[in-house]
Amino acid sequence: MSDMRDRQNDIERFVHNTEGKVYSRRVFFGMCAALGIAPVAARLSPAMADQKELVLVNWGGDAVRGMKASFVDPYLKKFPDRKVAIDGTGPSTSRIRLMVQSGKVTWDIMDRNLHTALEIGPEGMLEKIDYSVVDRSKVRPEHAVEWGIGNYIYAMVLTYNTKKWGGEVPTSWKDVWDFKKFPGKRAFRREPDAVLEAALMADGVPFDKIYPIDMKRALDMHKKMKEHAIYYTVIADGQNAFRNGEVHLGQLLNTRAWPLKQDTKGLYDWTWNEGVSWGACWMVPKGAQGGKAIWDFIAMTQDPQAQAELLKSNGYGPVNPEASRFLDADWNKVNPGAPENYAKMLPGGIEWYAKNATAARQQLIDALSS
Amino acid sequence: MPSQSNAPAGWRPRHGAYWLIILPALAMLVFLYLVPLADVLVTSITDPKPGLDNYLLLFTSTSVQKTLLTTLRIAALTTFVALLLGYVVAYAMRAANSSQQRLMLFCVLLPFWISVLVRSFAWIALLSSRGPVNAGLMAWGLIDEPLPLVRNETGVLIGMVHVMLPYAVLTLYANMRGIDVRLVAAARSLGASRFQAFRMVFLPLTRPGLIGAGTLVFILSLGFYVTPALLGGGKVLMIAEYVAVQINDTLRWGLGTMLATTLMLSVLAALWALSRVLDVKRLFGA
Repeated sequence: MSDMRDRQNDIERFVHNTEGKVYSRRVFFGMCAALGIAPVAARLSPAMADQKELVLVNWGGDAVRGMKASFVDPYLKKFPDRKVAIDGTGPSTSRIRLMVQSGKVTWDIMDRNLHTALEIGPEGMLEKIDYSVVDRSKVRPEHAVEWGIGNYIYAMVLTYNTKKWGGEVPTSWKDVWDFKKFPGKRAFRREPDAVLEAALMADGVPFDKIYPIDMKRALDMHKKMKEHAIYYTVIADGQNAFRNGEVHLGQLLNTRAWPLKQDTKGLYDWTWNEGVSWGACWMVPKGAQGGKAIWDFIAMTQDPQAQAELLKSNGYGPVNPEASRFLDADWNKVNPGAPENYAKMLPGGIEWYAKNATAARQQLIDALSS
Repeated sequence: MPSQSNAPAGWRPRHGAYWLIILPALAMLVFLYLVPLADVLVTSITDPKPGLDNYLLLFTSTSVQKTLLTTLRIAALTTFVALLLGYVVAYAMRAANSSQQRLMLFCVLLPFWISVLVRSFAWIALLSSRGPVNAGLMAWGLIDEPLPLVRNETGVLIGMVHVMLPYAVLTLYANMRGIDVRLVAAARSLGASRFQAFRMVFLPLTRPGLIGAGTLVFILSLGFYVTPALLGGGKVLMIAEYVAVQINDTLRWGLGTMLATTLMLSVLAALWALSRVLDVKRLFGA
């Protein structure tokens, strides 16, 4: 793309921009207080960190309950004098940058993904993982990087209607691009990760040749696809499009395909074949106050049994391959980390996305827009 | 001011007192609106480096041009359809008796009270391939395959016309109410057919209303965000969503603010042009 820019430039500009944002945030809180909505402001403003309390930040909802039961409770059993708080407000990149640059780091452990760790780690936003406490060998090699250690696996999988084509079902992305054999509306997410990979697989590119992604080739495939597909921006919207019969096949997050199958009593199903797997990971913000307790906690979350529990409560795939031993055959069917399922999928290219995600997103949006 | 109640009947506060009353509102407007707006303007010419590079993208970037063209095309189509439908409704309202008028006005205003988000989701439910519209058409045997009515440009148009229709109806109705109906009767008595009387007398008299309603609908359509994002199936990118992508995702704030500025200047230019032709204040009921 002609207007693609140097990444270093982007980072410097972001530093510049967010400094402006810190200031206006303070003004904003002041105004909130003046307008009598102080409770909201108080909840948003960083609380003073208790030296002994670890703050774990994840994405809220069921993940708070699930991570408390699987990770926090066993940790507190082992270290009864320690405290852990779960903050479900979401460690988005802009919030991490704001916190680290402001110098008041109140978070200790963040639930994010490996390509973000590779993207913002080199910018000085993250602490390096202490591999003397955290065990690298408990995850697959692609799930341990300098600034992040895998905590669960999720996957973008081929999801389809089981009854629409008289017993035939699509099993590969080539089938999804076959509009004659499998007529019907498709769904993809309007984000590059896994969407570009699916297009390349449909065009016959083998797993080991997917990265670096040939943008033109992938986008040409989606230009053929777009009149047959909707491109959702909110994942729940995509899930809903399947459930109400608007779309018949496409790509969906495995943690959404599973409830979809249950809700529709098997009208929809998914295959791990040619799915794209991604590692969520723990990251630690630069300047975190928790000290060694952080690494103790992370090391404990590597326990296969704890991870197996998190699959049962939240559908999060255990990143520790050993966990599949603690799961029966039925549970392993929905486990993206089970060796037989994991082997069918392409591990998402975290190095490529750490460098190219922004440009790829813009190019995809341009290609899809009428 | 305790002395105020004792003031003689002829007492008038000086102009300064009026300013004092509006000062809080004015201060709020300046701090919450004008200052951030100035920040947007400044960002558009300073980020990533000072100069007009961002504005050059209007002429060099195919991505920006495509979005602008899509926005203009959809806004123009929305305006055309909303004027056509709005004219019919306003015409019927003018001819109705007062209790019917009140009912019609209520029905026109009703959607105003429902959030755009809710309305968009309602359209998705109604127009999707298994929704009642397609199911009905198929049950009557009018079509074999469901029509693609939503998650594409057609869906965006339907949703936007729905939102814009009250603006068109109310502006046109305000204009039509000011027309002396005896002029049409006079034309009829001079031998014009019904259609001729409408075309040669009534229609020209509603021209200011058409121009006013058209401009208003067009301007409002340019800035649509929620409707195209939801009903367009991720494939209809209008300028507002494009700006949001630049601010939130790609972090090219210079480009985002440049487009926001361009949009604002175009709207101001359109309003200025309108004010040359019409008394804008009267048109919007001031």
